[in-house]
Amino acid sequence: MMALFKVIAGRLYQAFLLLAVMSLVGFVGIHSVGNPVYNVVNIETATPEDIRRATELLGLDLPLWRQYFVFLQNLATGSFGISYIYHQPAFALVMSKLPATFELAAVAMIVATVTGTGLGLLAGTRPGSRLDRVVVAATVYALSVPSFWLSMMLILLCAVTTGWFPSGGRGSTAEFLGWDWSFLTIDGLRHLVLPALALAIPNIALIARLARAGTVEVQRADFVRFCRAKGISDRRILFRHTLPNISLPIITIVGLQFGGMLAFAVVVESIFAWPGVGKLLIDSIQLLDRPVVVATLTLVALTFVVLNAIVDLLYAVLDPRVRISA
Amino acid sequence: MNITTRFRASGLSVASVLIALFAAGPGAAQDLRVATSYKLMTLDPHFATLNENSSLLSHVFERLVYQDEKLALQPGLATSWKRVSDTRWEFKLRDNVRFHDGSPFTADDVVYTIERVRDFLKPPSGGFQAYTKAIAAVKAVDPTTVVIDTVDSQPTLPLALSAIFIMPRGSAGFATTEALNTGSSLVGTGPYKFKAWRSGETLDLARNDDYWGGRPTWSNVSFRIVESPAARVAALAAGDVDIADFVPARDVETLKQRGAKVESVPAARLNFFQFELGKEVAPGVTDKADKPIPNPFRDARVRKALALAVDRNVIVDKILSGYGTAASQFFPNGLAGTSPNLTPQPARYEDAKALLAEAGYPNGFKVVLNGPAGRYPGDGETLQAVAQSWARIGVNARPVGVPFSVFNTKRGAGEYGIWYGGCSGESVDVCLEAVLKSPDSATGAGALNFGQYRNPAYDERLDKARTVDAGPDRDKALADLTDFVMSDEPIIPLYHFHHISGHGPRVTSYLMHPRGWTTAMQAKPAAN
Repeated sequence: MMALFKVIAGRLYQAFLLLAVMSLVGFVGIHSVGNPVYNVVNIETATPEDIRRATELLGLDLPLWRQYFVFLQNLATGSFGISYIYHQPAFALVMSKLPATFELAAVAMIVATVTGTGLGLLAGTRPGSRLDRVVVAATVYALSVPSFWLSMMLILLCAVTTGWFPSGGRGSTAEFLGWDWSFLTIDGLRHLVLPALALAIPNIALIARLARAGTVEVQRADFVRFCRAKGISDRRILFRHTLPNISLPIITIVGLQFGGMLAFAVVVESIFAWPGVGKLLIDSIQLLDRPVVVATLTLVALTFVVLNAIVDLLYAVLDPRVRISA
Repeated sequence: MNITTRFRASGLSVASVLIALFAAGPGAAQDLRVATSYKLMTLDPHFATLNENSSLLSHVFERLVYQDEKLALQPGLATSWKRVSDTRWEFKLRDNVRFHDGSPFTADDVVYTIERVRDFLKPPSGGFQAYTKAIAAVKAVDPTTVVIDTVDSQPTLPLALSAIFIMPRGSAGFATTEALNTGSSLVGTGPYKFKAWRSGETLDLARNDDYWGGRPTWSNVSFRIVESPAARVAALAAGDVDIADFVPARDVETLKQRGAKVESVPAARLNFFQFELGKEVAPGVTDKADKPIPNPFRDARVRKALALAVDRNVIVDKILSGYGTAASQFFPNGLAGTSPNLTPQPARYEDAKALLAEAGYPNGFKVVLNGPAGRYPGDGETLQAVAQSWARIGVNARPVGVPFSVFNTKRGAGEYGIWYGGCSGESVDVCLEAVLKSPDSATGAGALNFGQYRNPAYDERLDKARTVDAGPDRDKALADLTDFVMSDEPIIPLYHFHHISGHGPRVTSYLMHPRGWTTAMQAKPAAN
């Protein structure tokens, strides 16, 4: 019990440290890029007086350390401040974009995990076969293709030329748990297919390679040979004995990639006009919307901490040795 | 169940899902779908004077006076207006107009709107106060008559009011921005009613069947905010939307091949080079040995030489792919207040060289040519092209393009010697005052005169021209004034880029507006 408490305390400390560093980086970074007030007023019509008043109202006339201090004070009351551009509470704004990103990342990750693991297992059990060579070659291509190019090709082939799927946007949504989701409507699903594929394809390749390497290794292990000698079916060896043994690196990579997608699916979200967190982050950086940038980075940091915790927990579930050592 | 049947069953269900996915087609015939770059950051129509907000909100709200595509004033919610005395205007309002909630539109709503803009809103939401600060008092004489008293002579008050959307007076004081952003009480008199809005994502509108100007053409209008130009082009090419605005010139051919039509109009604006003239030494300007030299731009001959060595045709043809107009003044020739005497000149390198030598720079000098990159069509490439042209007269220019906010910060801090700027406005005198008048923080004049150009004779003539009543006399005065000041080469006019929009087969025609607006009212549907 004490050990568990220690682990949780450690994690919280980590999260706190991350938050502090992230917010400082966001603050200093944006401050050094330029003055956000020029994106708030219309620079082609504003008078110097307008600019001065807007600067004061946003608190941008204070020295940076005092602005940071004000930010910390606000944070203590649970507020990340008001977005300079959208005039809404920054954290609520980020949270409102979260469902779009979450469903996109979740669908992409589920597709990638299932397909990637399947392909890796198939290839790994038949090393050197034609299937294996195709999978290995295809994954190299899938990993080397830049995501903007992949997205553009998907749009060109599956939307512009053939008209099978819409070229972008979220389509219609339905409300569930107080949030709007695309995957609950047919139209929304149609919109989800291409961006999810664009995110999934490199991950399919990554996971397939990991799974293949693991399978090849495990297939040579003594316990598999022992299973064979015992007369256990190939299917059972594959799913009951091989899969759990190769799953640790896969789970790690899935956790990391999922976190990355939640925060930094910027390219795919921009090209498909998917209104998610990544797009909000890059727009906000361009517009120097500091409250939103800091709120997003904080959320991202927390997400990674939580995902890492989940991955660690899954380790313990899947690998008895971890449980024993803990 | 054995493996084969299980597989078959799942295969069937996948197929049925796929069929369902492909079957969902486009919307009904009278629905208009638009991909726009305008973000619509707030539903408060009085928050900031940005096209980003006003373009889309003009479906819901209307102005007293409307500026047509020739920038001429047309009756909006006001049917007529006249200047009663030097400081008093009277507006006659349209009768029998109702807001979307059924309440009648009266003079009292105009009073409310002007007071909300002038007195209630505080920065950063005070963007429209520039248009109301000259208003001393506004009174509803009767339900269809409004009288406005101004602090001084305001010959262009109707033009100023063409920026302001009329809101209904509510029962509970001034509406706050937060309340408006909820969308629950967003009612105007416009041709389309507000249905739903998601900040930075979508805006949905429905036809206002009781519209005073006749039944609007589209039954539903949905805007999708798509900031990436490539994504807007793809959406139009794929037929996901009927209109896409701000199409990059390089994508026009692709769109045409895909069967889309493309419309364009020269923008009522100018992009230009501006000089630092206030300082003895201009930042980034040195001789060829990197030694500082006295500010060469203070000599009008140097400014003229640099202007002569700009090849506008290359910029317009090569960089803007023809979707730009070479410029010699603030607005494209032909719009009100422009001078017929000023026409864009071809590059004359020999004359430019001779002028430079005459001014004492036979060997030229070195400059850093600054500008934003990616803010205006062709901005970064123009810096490159002009730097190459100037090399031919011995001026070594180093082009430096940076993000717009960085550019503004540095320009505001006086770190530039020469830079690429832009000006737009509802009329040409807005730019004449902002870019060229001597800066004065009290009056707000010279807001874009970052280089401290000072010409007292010009200031005096501008003040005088601005007191002339709107009409040919005023336009003539402004045109003469432009002739007068441009002969001093205070800036180097470059080009008026074109607003480009594309539309699909469900729209027969789309009328472009030089202010760059994107609205459903500009689109005519195809006959079914």
